Amino acid sequence: MEMLLIILVLLALMAIGVWLYNRLIRKRNAFRNAFAQIDVQLKRRHDLIPNLVESVKGYMSHERETLTEVIEARNSAEQVRQQASGTPGDPATMAELGRAEGTLGGVLSRLFALSESYPELRASENFRQLQEELTSTENRVSYARQAYNDAVMKYNNAVQTVPSNAVASMFNFGVVAMLEFEDREQLQQAPRVSFS
Amino acid sequence: MTARAVFDFSEHQARARRQTAVLVLLFLLITLAISLLTGVVAGFLFGGAAEHVGHQTAAVPGGLEGMVEQIDWNLALTVAVLVAGIILATAAIRALMLGGNGATVARAMGGTEVTRDTRNPAKRRLYNVVEEMAIAATLPMPRVFVIKHEKGINAFAAGLRPGTAAIGITHGALASLTRDELQGVVAHEFAHINNGDMRLNLRLMAMIFGLVALSVAGRMVMRSVFFTGRGRRDQRAVLVAMAVGLTLVVLGALGVFAGRLLQAAISRQREHLADATAVQFTRQPGPLANALKKIGALQRDEQLQNPHGEEIRHMLFAEAVARRSPGLLATHPPLIDRIRALDPAFNPKTDPVWRQPQREMIRESRRGLRKQSEGSSGLDIADA
Repeated sequence: MEMLLIILVLLALMAIGVWLYNRLIRKRNAFRNAFAQIDVQLKRRHDLIPNLVESVKGYMSHERETLTEVIEARNSAEQVRQQASGTPGDPATMAELGRAEGTLGGVLSRLFALSESYPELRASENFRQLQEELTSTENRVSYARQAYNDAVMKYNNAVQTVPSNAVASMFNFGVVAMLEFEDREQLQQAPRVSFS
Repeated sequence: MTARAVFDFSEHQARARRQTAVLVLLFLLITLAISLLTGVVAGFLFGGAAEHVGHQTAAVPGGLEGMVEQIDWNLALTVAVLVAGIILATAAIRALMLGGNGATVARAMGGTEVTRDTRNPAKRRLYNVVEEMAIAATLPMPRVFVIKHEKGINAFAAGLRPGTAAIGITHGALASLTRDELQGVVAHEFAHINNGDMRLNLRLMAMIFGLVALSVAGRMVMRSVFFTGRGRRDQRAVLVAMAVGLTLVVLGALGVFAGRLLQAAISRQREHLADATAVQFTRQPGPLANALKKIGALQRDEQLQNPHGEEIRHMLFAEAVARRSPGLLATHPPLIDRIRALDPAFNPKTDPVWRQPQREMIRESRRGLRKQSEGSSGLDIADA
């Protein structure tokens, strides 16, 4: 009788453990998938920028320096993105990605601020289309980031709270990092003010 | 924009969900009550009472107790189960019939589809906004439709599952809203998709249809008795059948009325929930409040000119038929209440957006699309 009771308790504990483990896995998959979404949108952003530079080059010949900066920021951000897509949630990589994208957002908004003084450029249909696409991409990036950060929070909560923290430490589920863009203010303002 | 009060969307969502649950439960209770009542009446009529109608001589036991004694409980239960069965079965059939995909519904409402490769800048912007919200809501991309020749600001979501959903926007909304406001409206429709509101509404409509079927069945019973019973001499059976038919008609009609009230009440809750969920997606209540204010500003000429208006009004972003008072049958909460929930400082007397003429809205909306040089002629300081 006692034997049976012990077996039952052990079975129940095991079932709870399996359930907690699966929950952690599901949450980990969720934030990884959310990161994949950011990755897609960042790729889209980086692909649009050479087109943008190409189409403004003719009009903004005096801003060669800014254009070079945009291209440089874009290239280094693209490099970081490629590294980061393999290690979602890694704190160092996430910080680096945040920094690179923040810089890119900063120089981009400077470029758009400068474009205000080139009326022919602003009148060109091609430029307006690119502007809409970039606005949309900025929004996509920020929504994807929002979804990623929400998923990370849920995962981290599961890793750190009782009782799933026991299972988490047993199977090496670590806390992961959210993605914050440095220069966030500017980046959020960029699509709203100077693009519209 | 001044600092806005923090809008606690999760709090609003929790409240709206609780209230919906109560309302749905009430709906089921009504169905149950009607089935039971019909059963009891049938049990009473076919049980003891029926015999008394035939044999007038037998002493009728007085009072409620006496009546209860006369009920044939087995029969009552059978009839109750039967009636509930009829209601639920017709409801299920109706649900299957109405359950098409969103694109079909959108086309039936006169929508033309917008695709990724559109050249029109306003439609391109709409398509982009929908794609952005799909990311924010983590839902699959729905199909996008524009209702032409519709000057009012409105929008709808159709389709029962996120995979077959469609979002429709009136031409007026496309022309009069800024990008951010359009985003708020699209987020609200995504919220309906996310919260399963089309499915919920379909179920409620189907339930009402089941109750309608009940009273139709009652009428059929009465009519058939009227025609076939005339020749016969079996008065008792005729009377009993007539009474059963009448019971079905009356209870069915009562149920339909109560059902309509409940459907409207549930729909109003779901609108509040969708506003809250929209803020969860966009994280900014301001533009959604502005879109609602613009609807208020246009309400005079807004009336959706669609023959299907009555059937689809619960799906719309805002009430299509302008109402003076927040009637019990309204499918949407009063506009001002919705705006206040998002913007507590809202005052209709002084709010500039609430009083804006449509021409100005269109100009503001186009500024985001048109060449910048046109807008920067000195008059426009609205972005500051």
